[in-house]
Amino acid sequence: MLYALQIAGESGAKYAEARYHRLESQGMSSRNGVLISAYSEISEGIAIRVLVDGVLGFASTNNLSRDGVREAVQKAIARARTHRNVVKRPIELSEARLGRVKYSVNPLKKFSNIDFEEKIGLHKLFWNSVSNSVREAKVPVATLSYVEWVEEKIVANSDGAYVESSIPRISMDYNIVVYHPQKGYIQRARGLGASGGLEWLEKWNVVGAAADEVRKLEEILLTAVEPPKDSVPVVVGSEIVGLIVHESCGHPSEADRILGREAAQAGKSFIKPNMIGYRIGNENATVVDDPTIPGSYGFYLYDDEGVAARPRYLYKEGLINEFLHNRETAKTFGVESNAAARAMDYTSEPIVRMANTYLRPGDHKFEELLEDVKLGVYIKSYMEWNIDDERWSQRYVGLEAYLIEHGEPTKLVRNPVLELTTKSFYSSIDAVGKELRFYAGTCGKGEPMQGVPVWFGGPDVRLKSVRLGVAVQ
Amino acid sequence: MNIDVDFVARLVNELSKMGFEDVAIEATIKDVVMTKIANSEVSVVQNWKGVTIDLYLAKEKRIFVLRFEPKSLEELYKPVETLLSLSRRIEESPIYAPLPEPSKITYREEVFDKGIHNNIDNIGKFAEMVIEAAHREKIDSVAGMLQMGETETVLATSKGALLEERKTFLQSYVRAFAEPDGSGQWCFTSTSLDTKELETMAFIASRYAVESRGRSEIEPGVYDVILSPMVFGNLLDYIVSMASAYWVIMGWSMFMKNRPGDRIASEHLTILDEPRNRELPSYRSFDDEALETFNKPIIESGTLKTFLHNTKTARLLGASSTANAGWISPRPWNIVVRPGDATLDEMVSEVRRGILVTNNWYTRLQNYVEGIFSTVARDAIFYIENGRIARPVTKIRIADKLSNILNNIEMVGRELYRIQWWEVSTPSKVPFVLVRNINISKHMM
Repeated sequence: MLYALQIAGESGAKYAEARYHRLESQGMSSRNGVLISAYSEISEGIAIRVLVDGVLGFASTNNLSRDGVREAVQKAIARARTHRNVVKRPIELSEARLGRVKYSVNPLKKFSNIDFEEKIGLHKLFWNSVSNSVREAKVPVATLSYVEWVEEKIVANSDGAYVESSIPRISMDYNIVVYHPQKGYIQRARGLGASGGLEWLEKWNVVGAAADEVRKLEEILLTAVEPPKDSVPVVVGSEIVGLIVHESCGHPSEADRILGREAAQAGKSFIKPNMIGYRIGNENATVVDDPTIPGSYGFYLYDDEGVAARPRYLYKEGLINEFLHNRETAKTFGVESNAAARAMDYTSEPIVRMANTYLRPGDHKFEELLEDVKLGVYIKSYMEWNIDDERWSQRYVGLEAYLIEHGEPTKLVRNPVLELTTKSFYSSIDAVGKELRFYAGTCGKGEPMQGVPVWFGGPDVRLKSVRLGVAVQ
Repeated sequence: MNIDVDFVARLVNELSKMGFEDVAIEATIKDVVMTKIANSEVSVVQNWKGVTIDLYLAKEKRIFVLRFEPKSLEELYKPVETLLSLSRRIEESPIYAPLPEPSKITYREEVFDKGIHNNIDNIGKFAEMVIEAAHREKIDSVAGMLQMGETETVLATSKGALLEERKTFLQSYVRAFAEPDGSGQWCFTSTSLDTKELETMAFIASRYAVESRGRSEIEPGVYDVILSPMVFGNLLDYIVSMASAYWVIMGWSMFMKNRPGDRIASEHLTILDEPRNRELPSYRSFDDEALETFNKPIIESGTLKTFLHNTKTARLLGASSTANAGWISPRPWNIVVRPGDATLDEMVSEVRRGILVTNNWYTRLQNYVEGIFSTVARDAIFYIENGRIARPVTKIRIADKLSNILNNIEMVGRELYRIQWWEVSTPSKVPFVLVRNINISKHMM
């Protein structure tokens, strides 16, 4: 590590950063309760970043010998130098609160606490539970994957940071297909993830939760009706609220997007550099991104530039309040980095990312969100979603959804489509639930694509009046 | 760059001696450089060099897959020994099939371009050329990526295969912006350095940027839609992946309801998997099970000809391997659409009320088995009225069923474009297509 910094300095780099990054994972996947395969993966190497003649160079290697590291550093510098004619504005980095620290997450229950057979047994229990929860329909396929992994890093740079960390994570994903000869197919895919250990298996109770979902999927297939055609109040479940704030607040608040660095990939942002203070919603719209939530999938205390993490208030009571920054974008905006630089693995450059993004909860019980609604829709879960690359026009297709009649959820609704703009969503929230729930995802960004673990969440919220669509059947 | 082939072969022997009946090792070494462009300047230059070792192990029909970047053999053996001890405690995999006897590779070609090899350290001048080419049109800025690299792969199996292949590749895409609201995007992929094609790519993106200024909105509804190669390539990336037999059995496929021989698309559509296409970067002469690859139709004149198989899925579904392994999941190598005879102008002239979509992103499915999906149209989108392009439009989605896209193709373009970018992972050669009666949605508030 320090050798890499030394070589870079001697070779003329204005700034150098070295990150030892090791990911060790084990997992297994099953189909209909039977194990398809088990797998094990180790990714281990060093990532180097250098600033040379105003150009940012990156190189990675898994040859950890001194020769290997020296070659990577020199290649990063030499190939960066060939681009000096293609730079208009030399890159600089902001001042930052850099750490010299070591931290780790200690799981309550270690991965080794239960043996391999018991982990396999979970797959059988899952299948038995799922396949026995339908009455008229069938479950042709139900797959389950289980992964446990540990991420170890040392981040050091020529500005003095030295941060060592170790974070274990656990994740499960399932895919359930339910079929009825007259009604066709319905499908639910769900992912769960957290930092920590096996204690999450009890909290998630995948076996019980999936059985409930399958019963509901069959009911949707057999009984669901179309959503109302007129505009009605819509209660958006926390699972969708979490996704909405991730897509329409977190992503457009990434300062590198705002500056155009991702313009050809994930796109630009409707937020322009001068829009701090712009009203994007009403007073219910406060969105926070916080890497420091214990147990979260996106947990970290120092980012991959060695900067100390803190909660970021992206939208605050309806106003655009703060962007997500690394040291490069912070310098451009004349602010301090708020520690949003993350890299997927040693082959990846650290770029501006979310961690755990959520809508701040309010004071309504769930029943209170529904009680004044004569006719409306409650959308609890989704499958399909997307958003344009400015993060303005977005679409979410409900999976489990209910008609609300006289304050009560009644009939199931099939494939309701919530398709609206970012400002419409944040301006239409007229009541906010009190219960904050989080959901796990792997957020994709960058070139090459980097997937990093995140949580997104929020309470259930009520939108005052929405015209829903319906997906093509 | 080179891999110690004897070392890989020895490793197979060592692992076989440890008690695994099936052993396959694929070692890959790569040297890749990528220039990322934003605001018409370089934003970062990324380099990757390293060796990856993938292992496939089976003992008594139990399957293990491992990926390592080992510093030493000892580090590699430790988890393997752990797996060996686990093998008795888990059950047989329902997809297990023995590794096949390696087929004789009747022909191999070197898809290794000296132009790329000799210029990998000078990528900056090509990035500069792409930026300059884009700015020959009256645009404001350009973003994108240019990547060059070479890889060497060695595959050894316990059935005696020892195969080696090296190749070069180049990928690039640019997105041009023209104030106040114009943008256009195009891409190029190749096994060789081709500066003329890079310039053409930049030119197409810039033209679309200029021509799509002054956008207006249109009502949602049913339209005839012309999909550019970028858009059709994105949808085919999903559709052809779903032809992998593994995705069929795992419930992630619109072909779960189908068998080879079923009519699933317009008679105008033929889609091939072409591992032997020398122009496309996923060229391979052998698959991961050491079987010789061959070009094959997946859909021929609208009929599903085959799923993509390795020996496991082939055994499970009573078919033969199509040499598309993936040890666990078969996958396409390169996707090629058989050209039709229409020009883009001829397609436009056949549309009374329709839309030309030149780029898209964020395709997601509500239901993979039913193929219910939507995708966001992006960059240059044009409303077509009475056989002519009328005006640029914005903020719409294609929201329909993939089966409708396949079945409603009425015209296929005569010119194929080489497509691969952020939203099209499999290298592809794709034309423009005209699709009738497709649902278009947009935000309601």
